[in-house]
Amino acid sequence: MGDRALGSVGLGLAAAYVWQASRIQESFISDPIGPKGFPFIIGGLLALTSLAVLLRPDPPPHWPRPARLLELVAAVAVMVAYALFLPDAGFVIATAIASAYFSWRLGAPAMQAALAGVAIAGGIYLVFHLALGLNLAKGPLGF
Amino acid sequence: MLHLRTPGRSLALALAALALMAGPSTAFEPSQTECIAPAAPGGGWDFTCRQVGKTMQDLKIIPGTMQVTNLAGGGGGVAYAEVASKRKADNNLIVAASSATATRLATGAFPGNTMDQMRWVGSIGADYGVIAVAKNSPIKTLPELFAKIKADPKSISVAGGSAVGGWDHLKVLIAAKADGISNLRAIKYVPFDGGGEAITQLLAGSVQAFTGDASEAKGFVDAGDIRVLAVLAPDRLPGDFGKFPTAKEQGIDAIGANWRGFYAPGGMSDDAYKFWVASVKQVYASPEWKKVMTQNGLAPLDLDGPQFEAFVKKSISDIQTISKEIGLIK
Amino acid sequence: MDVLTSLGHGFAVAITFENLGLALIGCLLGTIIGALPGLGPSNGVAILIPLSFSLGLDATAALILLTSVYYGAMYGGRISSILLNIPGDEPAVMTTLDGYPMARAGKAGEALAISGIASFVGSFVATWGLVFLAPQLVKVALLFGPAEYFALFTLAFATLGGISSTNQAKAALAAALGLGIAMIGVDGQTGVPRFSFGMVHLYDGVNFLVAIVGLFALSEVFIFLEHRGENAVHGSVSIGRPVASWSVLKYCTPAMLRSTVIGFIAGVLPGAGASLGSFMAYASEKNISDKDKTFGKGDPRGVAAPEAGNNAAAGGALVPMLALGVPGSGTTAVLLAVLLSLNITPGPLLFTQHPDVVWGLIAALFIANFMLIAMNLPLVGLFARVLLIPPQFLMPLVAMISFVGIYGINGSTFDLLVMVIFGVLGWVLRKLDVPLVPVIMGVLLGNQMEANLRRALTISNGEWGALLHSPLSIGLWVLAVVGFVLPIVVGKRLKSRIARAKEEAGTLVD
Repeated sequence: MGDRALGSVGLGLAAAYVWQASRIQESFISDPIGPKGFPFIIGGLLALTSLAVLLRPDPPPHWPRPARLLELVAAVAVMVAYALFLPDAGFVIATAIASAYFSWRLGAPAMQAALAGVAIAGGIYLVFHLALGLNLAKGPLGF
Repeated sequence: MLHLRTPGRSLALALAALALMAGPSTAFEPSQTECIAPAAPGGGWDFTCRQVGKTMQDLKIIPGTMQVTNLAGGGGGVAYAEVASKRKADNNLIVAASSATATRLATGAFPGNTMDQMRWVGSIGADYGVIAVAKNSPIKTLPELFAKIKADPKSISVAGGSAVGGWDHLKVLIAAKADGISNLRAIKYVPFDGGGEAITQLLAGSVQAFTGDASEAKGFVDAGDIRVLAVLAPDRLPGDFGKFPTAKEQGIDAIGANWRGFYAPGGMSDDAYKFWVASVKQVYASPEWKKVMTQNGLAPLDLDGPQFEAFVKKSISDIQTISKEIGLIK
Repeated sequence: MDVLTSLGHGFAVAITFENLGLALIGCLLGTIIGALPGLGPSNGVAILIPLSFSLGLDATAALILLTSVYYGAMYGGRISSILLNIPGDEPAVMTTLDGYPMARAGKAGEALAISGIASFVGSFVATWGLVFLAPQLVKVALLFGPAEYFALFTLAFATLGGISSTNQAKAALAAALGLGIAMIGVDGQTGVPRFSFGMVHLYDGVNFLVAIVGLFALSEVFIFLEHRGENAVHGSVSIGRPVASWSVLKYCTPAMLRSTVIGFIAGVLPGAGASLGSFMAYASEKNISDKDKTFGKGDPRGVAAPEAGNNAAAGGALVPMLALGVPGSGTTAVLLAVLLSLNITPGPLLFTQHPDVVWGLIAALFIANFMLIAMNLPLVGLFARVLLIPPQFLMPLVAMISFVGIYGINGSTFDLLVMVIFGVLGWVLRKLDVPLVPVIMGVLLGNQMEANLRRALTISNGEWGALLHSPLSIGLWVLAVVGFVLPIVVGKRLKSRIARAKEEAGTLVD
């Protein structure tokens, strides 16, 4: 798993890109190249470079072990959940939970992580909202 | 949406609540007024909201400050749709508009929205179109330029700061049509990011002519870099631009005014509408506003209420006619 | 217009209470960001952009803040290089080579002092270079038509890969990805939607700030999660008195001056940037003065050279960014994004339309430079302490500030989700050794590159030959081809030396 996969994905992506580009609706009045021309060039470049990577791959990177990979997937899930719940839960609560989670997963003991979460959320709220006046997401409790 | 909380605002609001109101006397009492700029901070709409809001505050027409909300997206379409659907009865709201709004309404770029969904308040000035060439160009008058285009459309590239089918493009087409050029689609228009960039390309010799607004050309006219062939105004402009002839003087009856003004929600009460029409009129008449106009190269265009509504209606139908002719819309 | 008069006006703009305060905050934050391993100028500035933007700073103020961070990071990078043998950012890699041996020999304070002064000399001279070179470049740039701009953009992409990546094909692939992403949204010329799959959120395209913060900042968080428990920073940081004797400074002066010139030139070249500046400076200094084979064993000149080089390159990289609108490095690409978000188009017109912004910015650079030297000599011990913040507290903060910043721009959950996607993409690309800077450049410059191509062909009535119609554009194309091909031919030697140097330094950061 490495450059061969990258090259193959790149080729597939290039094909999909060119196909999508060919479906761009041309407007009635247009310049000589039109809205499709440059995307076609980019698709070609992507295909060429993917081919080059596929044919002359570098040594593959060290991928994380499955457990660690799961850890990353979980982190992404937390970020997505954070983004989705932010407007409803309010900034301070959502941020405290999310940053406590990250702190914990980065190696802090549970108690410290919880404190870090509260400190980070409170600190950002204090500095950016109260001092600088940036609008953060308001939850049902108003913060 | 960008909400900026300035520390001064809450204070100002509190003070304003105590202050006496000195606006035009109508049954409508404005409170917590808001102006939507349908674009990001820094553009023309943002300028319109902030300058007019500030002048209204200075003249004590409205209590406190006017909140400016930037609601960008879709070339103004996001704000238009929002006001038409969710805020259609808001009496304390006005929205910045310009020729670009009319152009997009005309070409159907705000899907499902029409001009009669809004009440059109008034204009606060206009930026008239100019057509110019580089100072060393052999072309001296507008009819000469169009004669060259008629003879060989490929030989002249016209640069402007708007997209294809945008206002800068339409201005040159309006003038060309008035001169009797029938094949408008053959005119080569090259879009740039703003008038300044287009003029730079004129100076670099990449293109042969420029179409844009007087304010965009001002710096280059002062420096003597470009020659204005025609101003697309009903009469000669005041100030520095007075030395340039109008298109009309040269036998081409074309006017291209990039107006700035406001619309308000369609469900606004008559009293509130009257208040806003009178307020915008009062701003326009104030010496403070005259100063803003000269500083920013705005020419006079004083229309309000039904008069303004008729003006917008006519410019939309003009743009529709010409857009159909070049095939931008069916 | 006399440049010195303009510069005087610039100082009048920059010396206000607010702007000086912002410069001070920027210098402080920048030094800290530079010092912290893993956070460099590009991701440091990236995190702060959305904030400065949503706080409603005007253009000059925002730029003063962010370029102070930029210059500050260039200073700060050296601190962890010298004390911990971990480069605080990529340009500081070369500083580890002699800095860490000096620290182990008990001369950490001296190494910090020399590198601080070298940083000052490098950026001070380079800022003067910017003052005089940028307006000259503007005059040339006024002759650029669409065809020349298209060639120039191509040149920037072509030379970028040669240095930032070990594999040209991957750099080009990264550029293609970025350009491809830039095409999303309504076509500016004809108004038809492209690659937006009917989603209204995508009609305005992908916000490049979202892409930048995701790629640089969030991917960093993922990298730390992946390597949790490894590379932990151990031990205490002791530095001794941060002073250097006159004799040592005198001994290092020629090295500083030579490196400043080399670094500045490396910075001005589109795409190359500070890493090349410090590498070239170190390598050439080693060739010139390493007669006793002391380089790599704690030679003070080996600390002075790369620091003068990377700071000079930082100043140099601003030249093409301001004058042509083509960034000279990854971080200036990020700064370009700031300008674009503020509705200011860099390029030749910037100097006539926004002289306040340009000259205020340049004046602020001078001021920031003096603040930085003042901060970095006596207070360096304080900054060294920051290095002890463990990642389990730092990284959540980085992630959350990224979210706050992006949410602050539009209040949009959609933007946050797009940012997470870019974070994942950034992590995958970094694992596969695909450089991120070309992706950003592609997202940033893609639309302009396309617009110039289409303008050129509209003017020429569809003749592709018009792209090569002037000597200037031919020259740019030749440079682009050479810049792309040369690293493939001769670059192997250079790259193995950089790789060796990085290995000697112990860690690989970005």
